[in-house]
Amino acid sequence: MGSWRSSKTVPLLLLAGAVVLWEIATLGPRADFVLPPTEIARDVVGAVASGELLPHVTASLTRALPGFALGSFAGIVLGLVAGVVTGFAETVSPVVFLTYPVPKVVFLPLFMLWFGIGDVSKILVIALACFYPCFINAYYGARATPRLLVWSALNMGAGRLTVFRKVVLPCALPLVFAGLRVSLALSFILLFSTEMINARSGLGFLIRQAESNLRFDLMYVSIVAVAALGYASDRLLLLARRRALAWQEAGSA
Amino acid sequence: MSALARALRPFALVALGLAGWELLSRSGLTSPLLVPSLGRIGWELGRLATRLDSLAEVWQSLHRALVGFALAAVVGIAIGILMGRSRVAAAVFDPLLAGTYPVPKIALFPIFVFVFGIGSLSKIALVFLECLYPIVVTTYAGSRVVNRVLVWSALNMGASPARVLWRIVVPATAPYIFAGFRIALPVAMIVVIITEMLSSADGLGYLAMYSLASLKTDRMLAVAVAIALLGLGLDRVLVLVRDRVVFWERLDSYYA
Repeated sequence: MGSWRSSKTVPLLLLAGAVVLWEIATLGPRADFVLPPTEIARDVVGAVASGELLPHVTASLTRALPGFALGSFAGIVLGLVAGVVTGFAETVSPVVFLTYPVPKVVFLPLFMLWFGIGDVSKILVIALACFYPCFINAYYGARATPRLLVWSALNMGAGRLTVFRKVVLPCALPLVFAGLRVSLALSFILLFSTEMINARSGLGFLIRQAESNLRFDLMYVSIVAVAALGYASDRLLLLARRRALAWQEAGSA
Repeated sequence: MSALARALRPFALVALGLAGWELLSRSGLTSPLLVPSLGRIGWELGRLATRLDSLAEVWQSLHRALVGFALAAVVGIAIGILMGRSRVAAAVFDPLLAGTYPVPKIALFPIFVFVFGIGSLSKIALVFLECLYPIVVTTYAGSRVVNRVLVWSALNMGASPARVLWRIVVPATAPYIFAGFRIALPVAMIVVIITEMLSSADGLGYLAMYSLASLKTDRMLAVAVAIALLGLGLDRVLVLVRDRVVFWERLDSYYA
């Protein structure tokens, strides 16, 4: 029965069936906001070909990527340091854990006030949200380093920095990637929310504009683009993870 | 280091931040519109907590988050356990979940508004959808690793499949379910606040944007603090419930 779980045919057939059903259902009278899949596909191709979509995609990416990079870099570095230096952990981690369940969007109005309604406030909110999962995972990853390995390395004459680089970092890496994956998903959620709340470009803005102009074709185009972007970036991260963790046994992911 | 200093250490950063804020606000370098004093924020927070109309906004947000979360919990646990106990269900749902998990569901909000209207229903539906994923994934992971010997023994002693499910599979999966809840509950709050900021005439998200538009920074910050306290409080309540229900397993790391 191993073929059951690994096989992709069943879900693909289901998906195809759902699309066909959707198409058939839209043949009769339909609400304005329900478009048949074939028309959505045509609209997507049209928007890509006309160059209508590309500027919004680039605008979105120039907000999401710096925010993600900034937040997750700070999170990983501080998390690893906190995992190694006890005094630092005792000062910082209570604050991080306490504020972790707080929805970070609440800072958007404040950042808008301080940094304007431009890209800076959006990038900062995204960075803030990406910080937490990375910090927490890097912290636990570094703390979970087997002591025996650290002792052996010290015993064999490795300096503290070498131990950090050669022992703690590889041990923490699987969890660091787990944190990165959560952060990446969060960065897209916040990107589209902040763009929907206020922006003059980007996919979130495109969705809002299409919605208020009742351009349902454009609405579906932006949703497809958002989905594709989220999916593609997740795949890229998994690819990077596979390369970086090539030494780990397969299947433990 | 003395015991007192050690006990105070976790609060050091918070105190430092608050002191820095108050100093900045009193220094006269910044407008009170940008950095209102802690006293003003506290006063607005008190107003928020004591006036009936603002409590109604709090309730509105809370109610949306909790209804969506509860629906996601019921459906998510059902799907997760089904996937864990049936190969066919796993083969159908697993690739579907894996494929749609990284897609930001928030993009569907405009469609939800057209389908469910601009009121609470579209927001609850989005909360449901976003909360469903973590709950299904963790429940599935948990119900897959139920000790087979326990299931076999129960069956052998004449327990019906329904009884096995209720007395063995559900309790064994419970710690995982709660881990999923702890991921999903903050997500519920995030989605409610975002959707209220986007389109609403009530709720805390709306109140924050409205206060900003009226240049009432102190009130906006009070709302932000209220939202933060609400998120924190819900998480604490969840941990309390977890420790009572799953009393046989200690919560030793943040996630587990």
